[in-house]
Amino acid sequence: MHRALLPGLASMILLAGPATAADAPPGASSCTGCHAPKRVADSVIPHIAGRKAEDIVRFMLNYRSGAWPSSVMGRIAKGFDDQQTEAISAWFAAQPE
Amino acid sequence: MATRRHFLKLTAAAGLAPAIVSAQGKARVVVIGGGFGGATAARTLKALQPSLDVTLVEPNPVYTSCPFSNSVLANLREIDQQQFRYDRIKSAGVTVAETSATAVDADAKTVTLADGNRLSYDRLVMSPGIDFNWSAIQGYDEAAAEKMPHAWKAGAQTVLLRRQLQAMDDGGLVVLSSPANPFRCPPGPYERASLIAYWLKIWKPKSKLLLLDAKDAFSKQRLFQNGWAELYPGMIEWVPLSQGGKVTAVDPATLTLTTEFGSHKANVANVIPPQKAGAIAAQAGVADRTGWCPVEPVAFESSLRLNIHVLGDAAIMGGMPKSAFAANAQAKVCAAAIVKLLAGQKPQDPIVINTCYSLVAADYGISIAGVYRPDKGQLTDIPGAGGTSPLVAVGGLRGQEALYASSWFRTITAETFG
Repeated sequence: MHRALLPGLASMILLAGPATAADAPPGASSCTGCHAPKRVADSVIPHIAGRKAEDIVRFMLNYRSGAWPSSVMGRIAKGFDDQQTEAISAWFAAQPE
Repeated sequence: MATRRHFLKLTAAAGLAPAIVSAQGKARVVVIGGGFGGATAARTLKALQPSLDVTLVEPNPVYTSCPFSNSVLANLREIDQQQFRYDRIKSAGVTVAETSATAVDADAKTVTLADGNRLSYDRLVMSPGIDFNWSAIQGYDEAAAEKMPHAWKAGAQTVLLRRQLQAMDDGGLVVLSSPANPFRCPPGPYERASLIAYWLKIWKPKSKLLLLDAKDAFSKQRLFQNGWAELYPGMIEWVPLSQGGKVTAVDPATLTLTTEFGSHKANVANVIPPQKAGAIAAQAGVADRTGWCPVEPVAFESSLRLNIHVLGDAAIMGGMPKSAFAANAQAKVCAAAIVKLLAGQKPQDPIVINTCYSLVAADYGISIAGVYRPDKGQLTDIPGAGGTSPLVAVGGLRGQEALYASSWFRTITAETFG
């Protein structure tokens, strides 16, 4: 399923060009409450800035469907549709690691 | 006229020339309150648009975090692990005015400070947190709180309550009083009851905790109650509103709490009183009759005063609870929206997430999450998303969520203050 999303992602990044931080897609800014922009010592929460967009999409979709077990992420991923999930994933992929 | 008279009197009293503080041509944003909402808003505004002139007004040089302060009560943390300074926010280019805001003039777009200065703004962000309705429980005032601590603003009150618990004889009765909705941190009183019981079970196992509640249901209720039955059988008694849980009066001299049904004498009494938005909100005209601040759901601009945005516990945020996570998330949305508004552009409709962890024991965590979007003029739960941890935990989930809780605390404090 995620494979079908990727051409959409790539074209979106190419067409939109570098967005300013104030243009982060809806929902993205909330993620950093747990997934810090910079690495934080002694945190078991994964660092997502700079990860491949396709990986973030795959995690989100599998959490959303329940195919992969999770604690809060399944409940949060259910609040986002495919397009919103792709946009957020592309956003974090474009952030410095 | 009233404003001008006040201004003249104030400047005369302070012996200062009128101090209209402004920068040349830069857009000016003033942020009142340096908690998870205000500090995040100030920092994010400056990061999004470095040319902005951002001033954070906060009288305390050190912020003491309420999240994880219940762990201080249970001796799992020290109070200094809760404390954060504003040095990094200053070095990020935010001007920190270490004083309090005494008045907001929404028409003149100015904030008067206790040090005699006056700041003018293009946009004002207010994140003043909570104040207590001291009149709501008869006998419970600031002096009474020195005998029966609220510990609902972390700091000296947290340390006082911990000291009282440690001084209590084994076999004593701890009474905790929880207010009606809405209030800061809806699961907080129940996490507190849990962690006090956790500590009592180790050190004073013959003691009991009575939880007097002004409501009949509470956040993560079944998860908490299952945890209490599993970990602290017979130690915590919860008395809901319908069974006489609402505290109407207290006597600090005898540590007695009176409810609609009777009275209880405590060895340690923790009274969490009813609350309202921080007092400056009412002065600014952004609080309504409920004592809280109505806002629109996109940029969190006040429904009552233009160009003033209200965040965090003080605001009425539709379905979102009053939490540090929510305040931080709202602050980032608000900062991005203000950058757009100052550029004459329309802010996008946000999606905002809340996640709250609670500890039932040091290694036993539970959570609630929600995802919200604007709908019919307020932030509303996205159907099908959010909810609490499962009632039946598999694969060490409770331990994992306790780890996530402490990781979250490190992350959010790093993002806000670090």
